[in-house]
Order: sequence, then C-alpha cells, then structure tokens
Amino acid sequence: MPEPGAPLLAAENLEIAYGAVQVVWGLSFQVSQGQVVALIGSNGAGKTTTLRAAAGVLPLKGGRLLLAGEDISSLPAHVRVARGLILVPEGRQLWPRMTVEDNLILGAYSPALRPRVGDNLARVYDMFPRLKERRTQLAGTLSGGEQQMLAIGRALMGEPRVLMLDEPSLGLAPRLVEDIFRFVRDIAAQGVTILLVEQNVHYTLEMADYVYVLETGRLALEGPAAELRENDYVRKAYLGA
Amino acid sequence: MGVIDVLNLLVASLLLAGIYTTMSIGMTIIYGVMKIINLAHAGFMMLGAYFVYEVFNRLGVHPILGALLAFPVFFLLGMAVHWLLVRWLPVSDQPTLPSLLLLFGLWLVLQNVGYAAWGNLDRSIYTDMTLATVRLGPLTLSVVQLVVFTVAVISVVLLQFMLTRTWFGRAVRALTQNPFAGQLVGIDTARMSRLSFGLGIAFAGLAGALLASLYSFDPDFGRPFLLRSFVIIVLGGLESFTGVALGALILALVETFSVQFVPAGYQMAISFSLLVVALLVLPGGVASLIERRGRTT
Repeated sequence: MPEPGAPLLAAENLEIAYGAVQVVWGLSFQVSQGQVVALIGSNGAGKTTTLRAAAGVLPLKGGRLLLAGEDISSLPAHVRVARGLILVPEGRQLWPRMTVEDNLILGAYSPALRPRVGDNLARVYDMFPRLKERRTQLAGTLSGGEQQMLAIGRALMGEPRVLMLDEPSLGLAPRLVEDIFRFVRDIAAQGVTILLVEQNVHYTLEMADYVYVLETGRLALEGPAAELRENDYVRKAYLGA
Repeated sequence: MGVIDVLNLLVASLLLAGIYTTMSIGMTIIYGVMKIINLAHAGFMMLGAYFVYEVFNRLGVHPILGALLAFPVFFLLGMAVHWLLVRWLPVSDQPTLPSLLLLFGLWLVLQNVGYAAWGNLDRSIYTDMTLATVRLGPLTLSVVQLVVFTVAVISVVLLQFMLTRTWFGRAVRALTQNPFAGQLVGIDTARMSRLSFGLGIAFAGLAGALLASLYSFDPDFGRPFLLRSFVIIVLGGLESFTGVALGALILALVETFSVQFVPAGYQMAISFSLLVVALLVLPGGVASLIERRGRTT
C-alpha cells in the first residue's frame, strides 16, 4: 500500500528516446488517487511518447516510474497492465477483424481478471449501450466514435487503477467529442484515476484537476486547471484568446 | 471424362486438401504471431516423417498413432528451438532478413542432419493399411488417404476451436491482427511467441508424419511441400486460418484436375502460376473476399 498522501502514479525525471533521437527530457509529474491529470502541449511535445513509456511499450532512457510507491520502470508492459496501469492509445488500436465482444473480452486478458469477465462486460455494456447493440459486428465496421467507445470499454475491462487516455477526441465530430468527454467524466466519477493527453485544451482545462504543459519534450508549466485557465500564456498559446 | 471420373477427382482433391491444410496452417500461425516466414518448416516436416518411421520400425508403433505422438514431441522441439535461436531475432512487424537467414540456415542444418542419420535412400512405410481400399458406391477410396484426411481435419477443427474459444487462441488472433494492441491488454508477447512457434512446429511435424504414410521420403522430403505451403498461404491471405483451408482446397483441385491435361512433371509449374495469378489479382488472398462480403452485409 502507498503511504498516505503518496501519488498513485509518479514520474521522476523521465528521459525517453526513439533510438538516438531523444524526445522527452527530465519530465516529472504526479497523479494522485481519484484525480484527473492532463498533459497538454502542441504536436511533437512528447505527450504520446510519455504515455507509451508509462505503459511499458517504449523503454525509459532515464528516470523512474512509480505506481503506488513501487518502482515499475523495468516491468514489462503486460505486468503493468495486470497492476492496473492501462493505456487507451491514440488511434484506438482495435482488432478490426474481431467482433466488438471479442475486443472487449481481450481487455480482460490478465489471468486475475478472467473470472470477472461476465460482470465487467455487463458493466461496460451498461455504460455504452451502443456497443451492446453491435456486439457481434466486426470492430472494423464501427464508426469513429463507436471505435473510441470500444477502445475505452476494452480498457475498462482491465479494471484500471490509472486509466491513460491518449487523444480520445482525435478525429471525432464535435458532438461526439462532447460524448467522449462525458464518458471520461463518468469514469472519473467512479473513482478511476485518469491521466489524459488531449489537443482539445478547452475541454481539458474544464475537466482536469491538475495540468502539466509540455513544450518540445520539457515541462513548461504546471498548476491546477482553474489557475491555468486564467494564465495569460496558456490563454494566448492554447486557447487562442 | 465421365461423371464418375470427375467425382473421383473431386474426392481425391478433398482428401489432398485436408493434409495440405494441416501442413500450411503451422506456417500461418508462426507468421501471424511473429511475422516470421518459417523457411525451416520443410525440415521439421521431414523430421516428422522420420520420427514416425523410427517409432514404427523400432517400437512397432502404428504410423497413425506415431503421427499423433509427433504432435506433442514437435511442440516441445519447437519451443526448444525458439528458446535456443528464434527468440534472439529482432522483433518486427514484418519479416526481417535475419529471420529469413536464420530459418533457411536451420533448414539446411536439419536436412544435413537427416542425411547423416538416415542417408539419401528413399524410405517408405508399409502397413496392411497402405494398399487397402474401400468402395463407396461408384468410388474407390484408399483407406490410408481417408485416415490421414480424418486426422488432418480433426487437427484443424481442434485448432479452430482453440483459436475461437480459449484465451490462448484469442491472444493468437489478437497478436496476428494488431500486436501493439495485444501488449496494451496485457498479452505477454515473448511467451506467446514461444508457444506459437511450438504450435507451428507441432503442425509441421504432424503433417510430415501423416505424409510419410502416403509417400516415400528422403531428407529433402519437405521441399515440394514447403513450396506448396507458400502457394496456399498466399492464396489464403497469409493471416486467415479459414483462408488457409480454402487455399488448400483450391491448390488441391488445380493439381488434381490439371494432371488430366498436363504431364505430372509440370505440376509445380502450375502451382506457381497459381501463386503469380493470386499475387496479381487477389493480393489479400481469398480471405479478403470473405471479409469484403462480411462488411457489406
């Protein structure tokens, strides 16, 4: 168990590189239990890279990642999933030639979760009735919004403690963007801790508790979302005010 | 050709398609999960044939029972080869040069081990089943072909069941379609590679062991079958397990019927013409046709 007050997820001085090209430099952030924390920044700021490294699909070049106080930096991706650190990736990354239901069931692949597949499936179908209607359809035949719901639903099947969402609104029509953010808010209300990467800064600042601003792989600014909404620099650079 | 002749040829094609499916599906599993083209497939088929030969001659085990035994033995052998050699290959989402070289080299080594152990004479397995036939109405069927077909079909049906109903099977299909997503839901890709390679080799061993009851063999045994496997998995669409069965049926039909019009020596030329045609007009294989249909309904 983490000591009281310790963050659920903590990154300390992360250095991340694709081969010889380093994209994240000395990044530190913390996500406390029950919080919605967001990373914002322009394209190429290193947000997606950071989430991938946290999920364990990209190695760290330096620094540490702590989950509930325990160093997970060297754990392989599948062990991190089993500990409840789950990524909904950019671009959904579904299995297009499998049914909606098979996509969801695979979300509960970790052995400890398998006995509860039925319960979790019912819970996800409750949240996304649209997925229930389409459960025998191939995932590749869903619309963009439905695919995003499926990607989120699949992650929920893994009973996340920390849910990492990478650009959930990317490429969706404005009405669907609202839907997706409503779902994210609902998930947070159920007590799931959320680390969100978003280009839609307006929505993000409304929903998040705490925000980190990344610029070219370095931390530029951080603070409670309410404060950053009033910050002149953020307003100019990201809200176009 | 009379109706009876056509019927006989159709049945012969079907019987051939069964063993062709078993022989190709191991390559599909390995390609699907690891994106490695197993050029050593033929070597393991050859070893499967000699495995049955040895347990039959030394221990008196019936060759069909021997083929069933080959499956677990080659599963373990495959996992050992993976642990020793294959796991060191770079991970990639497409076939890499090192993987092709390693497995081609492994095939050559296995072949030469075969020559060292058994020499270059043709061997064959005779039992009282070998020449037996049964009459079914106007058709005359070879008993051994029927038995081999039955075992092959059962193996493929069991595989299909496993792929759709078990966690291991779901993981195989998941990694075949999108390995990155597989990692994100907690699939241990290293363990899955090891098991899938074992399973692929188990099917190669089983296929070789079954073919040993039908044909004579030497240490170069698997070569024509490896080439046929290529044709079949390209026809089938590389990653589709149903496509493999259809590809096997198409190749078996073409081979069986073409013998009526073209000398048997040209059979491989016909198979390869089929491969070229498939690559030109249907690069996604027959599986892409099925999928397109599924999408419109």
